Amino acid sequence: MSILTDLLAQPGVVAAGEYAYRGDRFSYRGTLSEEHARMASIMCRATTMGANMEGAMFNSIHPGNGLHPPRGWLVRGPVHTICVMANAFCLLDHTRGSVNDVVGFMRQNLGEVPHELI
Amino acid sequence: MAILDELMQLPGAMAAFEFRGSGELLEHRIAYPDRINPATLDLLAHMCSANMSIAAMQTRGWEQMTAMRGFYPVQEFTLIGFDWSVVVSALRRERHKEAGKSNLPPFTGLVLANESADYEAAFALLERQELTA
Repeated sequence: MSILTDLLAQPGVVAAGEYAYRGDRFSYRGTLSEEHARMASIMCRATTMGANMEGAMFNSIHPGNGLHPPRGWLVRGPVHTICVMANAFCLLDHTRGSVNDVVGFMRQNLGEVPHELI
Repeated sequence: MAILDELMQLPGAMAAFEFRGSGELLEHRIAYPDRINPATLDLLAHMCSANMSIAAMQTRGWEQMTAMRGFYPVQEFTLIGFDWSVVVSALRRERHKEAGKSNLPPFTGLVLANESADYEAAFALLERQELTA
């Protein structure tokens, strides 16, 4: 199974997607229209690129810290959490699923994805 | 600040801090001064403030464009680094906004070691203190 199919099978995950770092492709599964999946991919990619830029700058000023290179990020709202690791994302209803479990799953499957393409 | 001391009791806690919406560091606690110092936290606070603003803009726009709900207001932003994570909460500020107050309280942040990080526990503690503050 693909990582997106596996992600969508996690409790509480309502949609999952992945994007190319260079921004020319995306794919998705779950309860999103293609246009909304495209928009989510662009937003997640933009934030991931920003986080990597910030991490590199942070590391040049404070070398040896444990933040660089970033593996991913989370944005938690009242009901949904956006979980991003490497070039994959999912929308989690955290009232029906665990952020810890989803992050653990994503780290296990995406934590070693090389960052050279960023 | 009692909340910073409570946050430092979480598994893997390396530092806890408060900062203004504009990013300047206010209070802090540091468990490993050889690895994290106030200057580190100050730059981190500026990064988190910027990311929180971007997340608020994106989730607000996302809800308006998709009619999906439950993303805004942003309660926490978490950056998962290579070995550390930083969790930042904005919920107390959102409560003040809802109450019509213009003088907003600071953000609260926590640096965790990834290997023992319990994000759910961090969210629960941050959200509990934000509601009782």
